[in-house]
Amino acid sequence: MIDMIQQFASCCRAAGLRISTSEVLDCFRHLQLIDISDEMQFKTTLRTNFIKNYREQGKFDQLYHLFFHELRTDIEIARSTPLGSLVKDVLENLDQNSVDNPSKSILDFLSGDPIGFLEEVRSIQSEGNEPMQGPIKGPRSNLGSLARRLKIMLQIYAVQESIMNFLAENKSKFSWETNKNLKTYFSQRLDRARRYLHEDPPAYPDNSSHVTSYEKYLTQIGERNFASLTPKEVDEMRIVIAHWVRKLKDTIGLRYSRNNRGIIDVKQTLRDTMKYYGVPLKISYRKRPKRKGKIVTLCDVSGSVWSAARFMLNMLYSLQECFAKVRSFVFVADMDEVTRIFENNDINEAIDKALKEAKISYNADTDYGSAFRNFKRSYMDALNKKTTLIIIGDGRSNYTNPEEDIFDEMREKCRRVVWLNPEPKVFWYTGDSEMRTYEVYCHQLRVCGNLNQLMDFINDLVL
Amino acid sequence: MNYKSVSEVKERLAKADYICSKETSTVVFLAEATQKPILVEGPAGVGKTELAKAVSRSLGRELIRLQCYEGLDEAKALYEWEYAKQLLYTQMVKEKIHDVIAGASTISEAIDKIAGEEDAFFSERFIQPRPLLQAICTKEPVVLLIDEVDKSDPEFEAFLLEVLSDFQVSIPEIGTRQAIQIPFVVLTSNNYRDMSDALKRRCIHLYIDYPDRNLEITIVLLKIPNIKERLAEQLVDTIRKIRELDLKKKPSISETLDWAKSLIALQADELSTELIIDTLNVICKYKSDIERVKAQIKTISSQIGLK
Repeated sequence: MIDMIQQFASCCRAAGLRISTSEVLDCFRHLQLIDISDEMQFKTTLRTNFIKNYREQGKFDQLYHLFFHELRTDIEIARSTPLGSLVKDVLENLDQNSVDNPSKSILDFLSGDPIGFLEEVRSIQSEGNEPMQGPIKGPRSNLGSLARRLKIMLQIYAVQESIMNFLAENKSKFSWETNKNLKTYFSQRLDRARRYLHEDPPAYPDNSSHVTSYEKYLTQIGERNFASLTPKEVDEMRIVIAHWVRKLKDTIGLRYSRNNRGIIDVKQTLRDTMKYYGVPLKISYRKRPKRKGKIVTLCDVSGSVWSAARFMLNMLYSLQECFAKVRSFVFVADMDEVTRIFENNDINEAIDKALKEAKISYNADTDYGSAFRNFKRSYMDALNKKTTLIIIGDGRSNYTNPEEDIFDEMREKCRRVVWLNPEPKVFWYTGDSEMRTYEVYCHQLRVCGNLNQLMDFINDLVL
Repeated sequence: MNYKSVSEVKERLAKADYICSKETSTVVFLAEATQKPILVEGPAGVGKTELAKAVSRSLGRELIRLQCYEGLDEAKALYEWEYAKQLLYTQMVKEKIHDVIAGASTISEAIDKIAGEEDAFFSERFIQPRPLLQAICTKEPVVLLIDEVDKSDPEFEAFLLEVLSDFQVSIPEIGTRQAIQIPFVVLTSNNYRDMSDALKRRCIHLYIDYPDRNLEITIVLLKIPNIKERLAEQLVDTIRKIRELDLKKKPSISETLDWAKSLIALQADELSTELIIDTLNVICKYKSDIERVKAQIKTISSQIGLK
């Protein structure tokens, strides 16, 4: 029993879940208390100890099924029936025969030890698009994860072929029936490995709030999609924004001044009375320092998205004094920081400049994965627990590796992640959109296609 | 009275008017048996807070509740010195000071004498315990509910750690206060932000989702005793369909119950499309949501087979 749980825990770790020793110990303690013949109780106990995050539940269910249902029954077969020893023989034989052994982990998987295999699958996701090793340095490819997946698949096929060959060669040794059993046994197993490789863990129901705004501030211009504005309307829009920003600042100012009155700081007042023989002449109030958030924005500047992003940047920088710091980055496939441009120029100028001066290539295909990698390499320190990360983009990543692991890392580093998508929601999950992948990691998702929706968002953000 | 088995937990929670899934009862049982805090996550209105209340009812323990919000600090969660009381006492015993230093010949001797008495002002007498300290100091074990812990600041989490792992509170002027009875702790989170790993490691985790159809019907039948079974079924089916729509706020169990109550008040025996439209403002809390449901109501009622 202890062995089994240990092994399951290391499987989970191999698959990328973080489980500490104390959690495993707790789990043992808990297992002694429950009725482990009841599977529901058993599974719940493991889950409650190993998974502390609803986003990981899908992954857990998948691993649990693999480990306790699929592999477990196989091991039972391996132990109890004569078929088991035969399986072992076959595997050992293969292990010795193959000269260089790239498929060790798959053979292990066949004999009921999935750790190596899980690690390999995991590495597909985390290493992603690191340049492939080898003498040929071709063009930078975005298909790394796909290529790696393919490599493992080929290995699985190779193992399958060698097993079938082996069985055919030794046909005379076994009876017809054992031969058939062995065949079905191995092909079932290999199917499983293949399935695990393909399947992404089911997305778990997320309760990050979806916000949609219908309220109409300005009936005409507010409902126009950003992408369909004429230059004249863009100017009108700026005036509207400026008006509204002023109003908003008043509201915020009022709120802070009210805050300042505050409650009496008894400690400070008492301390001051010492000067006057214990007579409270001066009363001090407890003043809370303004809690100002830091904002980091990542803007997709390809085509349609940029038209929404420019207005959003306009608002954010007009409201700069409401935040401790605003840092902005633009990306297509590379990412560059444009904060400086905004600090040194007038807002509207800066927006135009940001497009011209950022060191990114505008002709590249949009690639969120590569942008996130860039961010991780150079700017990760921009995020801390006071930061709100705002991403503006349609999530259309041209079928490249989405790198949701890095995105998850970014989420953990900051206070909140908000995704603004200029596309209407009906299109979110179609084509090359990765919204489904990223959605799980966001605290909030919003449609942000026109001025009203954008104002709604900014209102929520600063008030 | 402690729980003895998982099934007993389920029964006793049901007696305390809380119907739960086996998962929930298993986790509650484990938490009680090993004295670990539970971190409950899930969408709003599925009964996370109610779980803590039900546990307190079924165990016959008092419930101490700490509602978290941004800016919650130690003084409001742990303890505070009663400055006013201290001040009053100082004024009242002012004359006594002469008696204390009466025999002293030098200033330093007088100060030593005063120092001998100073503990009087920083003692239990002047401490005002807040929920966390209360939960630890009571003689009878309690249920401590730390509600919406995700709304609090990250700093607050740090001193929750001491309370949750060692069940003790450090007060610099007095020393460490150890728990007399270890409380049953429930933390709820709406996932506004992630909790730190350290906090998560100390808790066991429970995710409560919207209940499945049968469970929800059972809950309605239990909480609204004079409802007809057919109505309850129609009601739950409709709510489940509405949940599938893309709404600002999805109706949760509490809305189901409110709706059932208002239908009873309207003396309805059966659900109809019109009735749903008339009572929609009980289920949906946003104008835009109501409009959205109205647009879909024909499809929904034909799927369920309403008139």
